[in-house]
Order: sequence, then C-alpha cells, then structure tokens
Amino acid sequence: MLVVVAAVLLGLASFVVAAEAPRRVASLNLTADELLVEMLPPGRLVAVTRWADDADMSNVAGRVPASAVRLPRADLERLIALRPDLVVVSEYTDADFLRLLEKSGLRHHRMSGLDTLAGIRAAIVDLGSAVGAPEAAVRLTARFDAVLAELGRRLDGTKHPRVLYWADPHTAGVGTAIGSLIEAAGAANVARELGLRGIVPLAGEKAFAADPDVFLVTKGSGAATALLRHPLLSHTRAVREERVVEIPNHLLVALSDRAADAAWWLASRLHPARVPEATPPPKLP
Amino acid sequence: MSERDRRLLAFAALAVALPLALLAALSLGSVPLPAGGVVRSALARLGLGGPTPLPEMGEVILWSVRLPRVLIAALVGGGLAVVGAALQSLFRNPLADAGLLGVGPGAALGAVLAVNLGWAQQRFLAMPLAACGGALLALLLIYAIAHAGGRPTLSGLLLTGLAVGALAAAGTSVLLVAVEEFRVRTVLFWLAGGLEGRGYEHLALAAGFVLPGAVALLLLARPLDVLSLGEEEAAALSLPVHGVRILVFGLCALVAGPVTAVAGAVPFVGLVAPHALRALVGPLGRHLLPASFLAGAVLVVVADLAARSFGQYVELPLGSVTAFVGAPYFLLALRGQEGRG
Repeated sequence: MLVVVAAVLLGLASFVVAAEAPRRVASLNLTADELLVEMLPPGRLVAVTRWADDADMSNVAGRVPASAVRLPRADLERLIALRPDLVVVSEYTDADFLRLLEKSGLRHHRMSGLDTLAGIRAAIVDLGSAVGAPEAAVRLTARFDAVLAELGRRLDGTKHPRVLYWADPHTAGVGTAIGSLIEAAGAANVARELGLRGIVPLAGEKAFAADPDVFLVTKGSGAATALLRHPLLSHTRAVREERVVEIPNHLLVALSDRAADAAWWLASRLHPARVPEATPPPKLP
Repeated sequence: MSERDRRLLAFAALAVALPLALLAALSLGSVPLPAGGVVRSALARLGLGGPTPLPEMGEVILWSVRLPRVLIAALVGGGLAVVGAALQSLFRNPLADAGLLGVGPGAALGAVLAVNLGWAQQRFLAMPLAACGGALLALLLIYAIAHAGGRPTLSGLLLTGLAVGALAAAGTSVLLVAVEEFRVRTVLFWLAGGLEGRGYEHLALAAGFVLPGAVALLLLARPLDVLSLGEEEAAALSLPVHGVRILVFGLCALVAGPVTAVAGAVPFVGLVAPHALRALVGPLGRHLLPASFLAGAVLVVVADLAARSFGQYVELPLGSVTAFVGAPYFLLALRGQEGRG
C-alpha cells in the first residue's frame, strides 16, 4: 500500500515539475546558449546571444536552431516581446537589470559558480532543473565527469609544468575558470603560486621573476607575438624555448560542459605523450 | 521681435517640444509602439476614454521599461541644465557646467567600487546608491578642505573641487585596473553614461534630489542675478555673498551627484542648454533656470532615444551622444566668446 502511495506521489510530483517547466527559454549569456542548445528541443529555445553563432567564441556555432532569435544585446524590450517563461542570465548581470526583468513579469535563472569545474558541473545540473530538462543535464554531466576522469587517469603521476596565463598585463589566479582549467590539464597555475585571486593585472617584472615553464595565451589575440616583442618577457625561458600555448578562444571561455574538452585540449598540449589526441575519445559517454 | 516676445516664443516652443519628445521616446524603441496607442493607454490608466489598444506585451514595455527610463532622461537633462545655468551665473562664465564641481568623479569612484566589490551584481540599487554616496562624500570633502583655511574664494572652491575630482579619478583608475574583465563592460558603460536597466526606483532616487534641488535653485534666482553682477556689487546690495555662493554650490552638487549616480557621465547638457537659451530668454535667473530645465530635459530625452535606436549590437552610451552634439557646440561657443573678447 505504501509503495503504491509513494509511486502515485512521485508520479504527481514529476507531473507538476513537467507542467511547470518553462516552454519558452531565452538566454542572455554564451554559456547558457551552449548548454541550452544541448538540453532543449529547438522550439523551446526562443533567444540566444549573438555570440552563439560566432565560431571563434562559441562551441555550438552552426548548431543553434534557426528559430531562436539572436539578441545583439540584453535588450529588455525585445525580450519582453518574445514572451519567454524563463530568462537565463549570468553571474555578472546587474541586480538593477534583474529587478526590471522581474517587474516586467519575466522569471529568471541566474547561472553562478562558474569559476571552478565543480561549480560548472553544479551549474549544469541547476540549469537542467530550471528549464525542466534534468535528464539532459545528467547526460551532459556524465560525459563531463567521464572526460575529466579519463584525463585524471592519464595524467596520474605526471610532473606538473608551471603555467602562467597571460593577457598582457592580466593573469588568472585562484577562483577563476582559467585557473581551474590550467590545473585540470595537469599543470600548476603560477598565478596561484604568486597568491593571486581572480583576473588581475600582474607586473611584467613579477611575471619574469616567476619564470613559468609555459605561457598560456588566447589564440588570435596577438598575445603570442606580443610576448616575443615584450622587452622583458621575451627573455623568459618559456618564450625563448617556444613554450607558448595558444588556446582557441572558444575553449578558453567555455564555461559549459565543454570546459572538460578545454581541459583535455590543454592537457594534449602540455602532456602530448600522455594525451596525444586534441579531443576526448568519442567512446566516452 | 521684442525680448518679451522672444522669451514667450521660446517657452512656447519648449512647452510643445517636451511633450512631443516624451511621446516620441515612449513610442520608439526596439519594439515600436503606435503613438496613438501610447496616448490612449495613458488615458486608460487615468480612467479616461476606453480600454488600452496596446497588447499586454506593449503595456509591459511602455509602463515597466520605457516610461521610467524616459522620465529619468528628462530629470537628468533638466537637472544638469539647471545646474549649468546656476553655475554659469555663479562663476559669471557662460561656459561653466556641473563638470566643475568635482562630484562627478566622486560618483564614478563610488560606482566602480560597487562593481569591484560585486555589490552591483548582488544588491538592487547598489551601484547608483554607491555613486550617490561617492558624490556626496566628494562634496563634503570639497567643503571641508576649502573651509580649512577660512572662507574660500570662488576660485579656491573651484580648484578644491578640481583637486578632489582628480583624486577620485585616480582612485577610479586604480580600481578599474583591478576590475574583472566580465565586469569591465558594466563599469565602462556607466562611465560613458546610459539609462539601460533603470526603473522607477532609480527615478525616485533622481527625483528626490533633482526636483527639490531645482526648485531651491529657482528660488535663488534673484540672488544669483545679483551675484552675476560681481561680488562687490552684490555685497553693496546687502547680499550675503559667501552664504549664497556656498548654498548654490551645495545645491548644484546635490543635484548633479544623484543625476550622475543614476545616469553616469552625461556631458555638455549643462553647458549647451543654458548657453543656447540665454540669447532667447535673457540672462535673468527666473527665466533662464526654468527654460534651461525644459531644454535640458528635451535634449537628454532625444539623446537617449538616439542612443537606444542607433546601436545594433550595443546601446550607444548616452554620454557619447550628448558629447557628439555638445562638443562642436562648445567649440563654436568658445570661438564666439574669444571673438567677442
């Protein structure tokens, strides 16, 4: 009898969840664009950012449903006109903008904690619940976990090169997705050694004195060439011995499930003997 | 045409231009709304006429998003223009404006601090309140420093304001360098001026300072007129020169600070509106101050409409739009003044 009651209650609960799931979801940040393209059927994703189609920035370029409106900016009026049931915003969205969103009758889901891989995983699960697609979130996190587990297995016992992210004059310390990416790829983040937190400026002299094994820069940003011409950093071991890794922008800014792929890609550059492939093997879930 | 007729014509033109500008700003935007529909929706809200012809979505856009923004634009423009007019009389210089007060950099420092500490993302109204606090703190600092060595002269007050402003700007630069790249856009957009994401609470914040401040400045129109004759002449007419000067300076800062807090930097409005109107309505404060308020309101409402209409990927910064109009005007006015000098 108890089992029957429990089953009925569970069934009712799932019905309620399904009934409350937003039917029209709009995204105001690239990470949500990437995740929602994976999670939702095309008709339920009503708006994405204009970056979603940009192959340099986006991991879902070419796969965004044509029916989704591309929002060139966070335009509240256009958003209201689209009548979304849920608007997915980022950690950096102004509280004042969110209040106006609420006053306009729009519900929002705020993605946060994207500065660590664990945080990204949790955000995927949260987003899945918010948009009524928990199974899709489970599918994405299963692959995310599998890629990172396989990476961890391959990198077990390897020596960690000391990597410094460099976006002249900024670097990425503790509490940043880039710092987490460096460490997930089997490296030591030099900015952490220096006691830095967040994306912060670093004096060229300090970067020189830190003597990193590898510089990590964004591909296409001109940072690699700038390092070669830098009056001081051009004399570092890493630059002299051509150990400057240029990571594609769409991997560097990936805060979705693709963050695991970004870690894999970086590991393939730092530990080619252990991780020869640039992308995770397809047999992973 | 007599001076009186010219003045009446100018006020009549402004009285027509402001409602027209407001109606255009309420109708046009990312989602155009018919002007007739906007008017009928307003009448319906007032219990006049039939039901609103706008769809529910249009009603939300009009009343939740556009109306507070347009009213804030009017208040910002009016406030800056009336401050400009008062300062031009106070400094006896037709090219003075709120930028001389030093409260703008104070407001900027407060705003950048709020973004840097993450308050702007976490707490509603944190950024405008922090900016307002920064502006008022700068005002107190200017007052305290200027009075440290006794009664300050007008130039002493002005130079203290510039020095405090420079200090605040230096602090802002230090904080800007340390702002996370994702938050830089918020800061830059605020520094460049803009009204995106402003609602009724921002309107209340601005109105709470601008309206009483503008009324108080209007009540000081006569003493301002006397002051514009020169300090000695004003003192000879029994005007408490120092007290009035400090009062006007303080009121101007109290209006300009919150305006900057809500809209960021919106340059040249306080210079262009009174300067252009002086030739039409005359130099007397009781005419110039209200006319400047109306003209400033029209100018910023139209500039904001342009800011949100012309940028496809990003909304143009409001401050850039007013600067595009104001800077050439300023140069022409400067040449004209030098030619006369």
